[in-house]
Amino acid sequence: MAGAHVGSRQRTNPLRVNASGWWRWGFKRVTTKTQHPTAAARQRTGLSRILLTEKWLGRMLVVASAGLLILVWHMVAARTSPLILPGPDTVLSRLISFVSSGRAWPHIILTTQEILAGFALGSCLGIGFGALAAEFSIARRVIMPYVIITQALPKFALAPILVIWFGFGMGPKVIIAALIAFFPLLENTYLGLTTTPAEHLELFRALRASRWDTLIKLRVPHAIPALFSGFRVALMLSLVGAVVAEYVGANKGLGALIIVSQGTLDTELMFVAFVLLTALGFTLDKLHQLVYRLVRRRLYGKTATDADASTEHVSV
Amino acid sequence: MQVKGHIEVDRVTKTYASGAGDIPALDAIEFDVAPGEFVSVVGPSGCGKSTLLRCIGGLIPPSAGTVRIGGETVKEPDPRIGYVFQKAVLLPWRTIERNVLLPFEINGKPTEKDRENVHNALEMVGLADYKQHRPAELSGGMQQRVSVARALVTSPSILLMDEPFGALDAQTRESMNVELLRIWEEAMTTVVFVSHDIGEALFLSDRIIVMSARPGAVHDILEVDIPRPRTFGLVENDERFWKMRQTIRQAIRDTLH
Repeated sequence: MAGAHVGSRQRTNPLRVNASGWWRWGFKRVTTKTQHPTAAARQRTGLSRILLTEKWLGRMLVVASAGLLILVWHMVAARTSPLILPGPDTVLSRLISFVSSGRAWPHIILTTQEILAGFALGSCLGIGFGALAAEFSIARRVIMPYVIITQALPKFALAPILVIWFGFGMGPKVIIAALIAFFPLLENTYLGLTTTPAEHLELFRALRASRWDTLIKLRVPHAIPALFSGFRVALMLSLVGAVVAEYVGANKGLGALIIVSQGTLDTELMFVAFVLLTALGFTLDKLHQLVYRLVRRRLYGKTATDADASTEHVSV
Repeated sequence: MQVKGHIEVDRVTKTYASGAGDIPALDAIEFDVAPGEFVSVVGPSGCGKSTLLRCIGGLIPPSAGTVRIGGETVKEPDPRIGYVFQKAVLLPWRTIERNVLLPFEINGKPTEKDRENVHNALEMVGLADYKQHRPAELSGGMQQRVSVARALVTSPSILLMDEPFGALDAQTRESMNVELLRIWEEAMTTVVFVSHDIGEALFLSDRIIVMSARPGAVHDILEVDIPRPRTFGLVENDERFWKMRQTIRQAIRDTLH
C-alpha cells in the first residue's frame, strides 16, 4: 500500500528545513521531535556529531561485527584441519588467484545467466497470471488451486527429472529458478492490483474511465511498490534455485563448483564459491535497489524517498 | 457563457440489502436545483447525504425514482458533472498538472486546448505555480484545491461536492469557502454541496436542504436570503445570518425526534 500513502505524507517539515543540515547525519525522527537550540548546538560540536549518528553508528557496528566474525573464523580455523575449515587468509588468497587467473568467470557468468533467465521467465509468468487473477475472478478461481499445488510441491525435488528431460545444460536450472521466482510475483502482482484505494476507483468511475484506463493509469502504478518487493524476493530465490539445480547435474557454474570441490575435498575452493555466491547475491540485490530507486524517482519525482523502498509486500 | 445544469431529484429512494433485511438509506427524496444555483445539503451524520450525492452523480443507481439532469435521466456518471470528494484523491505519481489533465487523458488524447484549460483551472484555484510539483509536496488545503481544479477543468455544468473541506482546519476552510464562491461565480456552474457545517452552508448557499436520518428524507428546504457578495465578516455580524443559523439548528434537532 506504500504508493497510496505517498500522497498524504508531508515532506516539508519546517523544523527540518530550518535546521542547518545537521539532520542529514541521522537520528532524524528523534531530533526533530526533541529539537532544542542548545541540544542541536551540542550535537554539532565535536566528534559526537559523526560518531553518534545512526548512519555512522550502523556502519561502524557492521564493520566491527564483521571483523569479529572473521577473527572467530580465523581462531577456529587455526585449530582445525584446513580440509574442514580453511582460514580466512587462505580463502582470500585462493579467491584472488582464482579470479585473477580468469578461471572464475565462466562459472560466475553461467550462474548469473541462469539466475537472470529464471528470474525473467518466472517474473513474466508471475506477473501475467497475477494480473489475470486480479482482473478476472474466474481466472482467479482456476489459477489459485494450481498455484497452491505448485507451491506445495518441493520444487528442488523436480531437479533430477528435469535433468533427465533437459540434460545438463542451462535448461533445468532456468526452470527451477523460474518456478521459485514465479510465486512471489504472482502473489505481489495480485496484491498490488487488488489493493487500489476505493476512493481512487470511485474517481475513475466518476471520470467514466474504461477498464483498460483504470488498469493502466491507476492500478498498475499503484502496484509498483508491491511489484518491486516481489522482484526482490524473486531475485534471491532465483539464485537459490539456480545453485541447487546445479548441484543435481552440471559441469559449470558456482553450484557445480561446490559439488566438484566436495568431490575433491578442496574445501578452500568451496569457500571461494561461497564468497562468490554471496557477492553475486549482494550485487543483484543492489542492482534491484538501484533500478527501483530510478523507477521511484521517475514516478514520484522529489517526493520519492527511501521509505518507499520498504519491503512491506514481501511474501515468500 | 450561459448558465446551465438543471437537476431534478424525483422521489429518489435507496435501500441497501443486508442479511437482516433491507436497510433504507434514502426515502423518496424530492427537490429541484435551478441552473446556476448553489444548494447545500445538511443533516445529522448517517442521513444519507453522500448517498444522495452519489445518486445524483450516477455513481450508484437509486432503488426507485430518478435523477434528471437537463431533462435526461442519469444512468451512469455524466460528463456534465464534476465531482469533488471528501479527500483530494490525487494520484501521487503524477504532477499537479498531470493530475488535473487526467479527465482529458481518460477521454482520449489531450490536446493543446486541454492543456490550456488545465492551466486556466490551476490559475483559478491559485496553483498555477505548482504545476510540476507532486501532491505530497502540497498541504491538505492545496491538494483539495487541485481536486477542485480537476473537477472544473472539463467545464462541467454541475459541480457535486461531498464535504470537500471537512478535513481541513477552520482557517483553511474559511478561505476555501471564499475561494469557492469566487470560482462558482466565475465558472457559473450549478453546485450541490454536502456539508456538516451549518455556518459553511449558510455562507455559500442560495438554498439549504435539511435532511433527517434513518431513512434519509428531506426535512425542510430553506432559502438563504443574505445578499451576495458575501464576506465572512458581513455574514457573522448580520442578524439574519444568526436567525437562519438558529432555524437550521432547530430543524436538525427536530429531525432527531
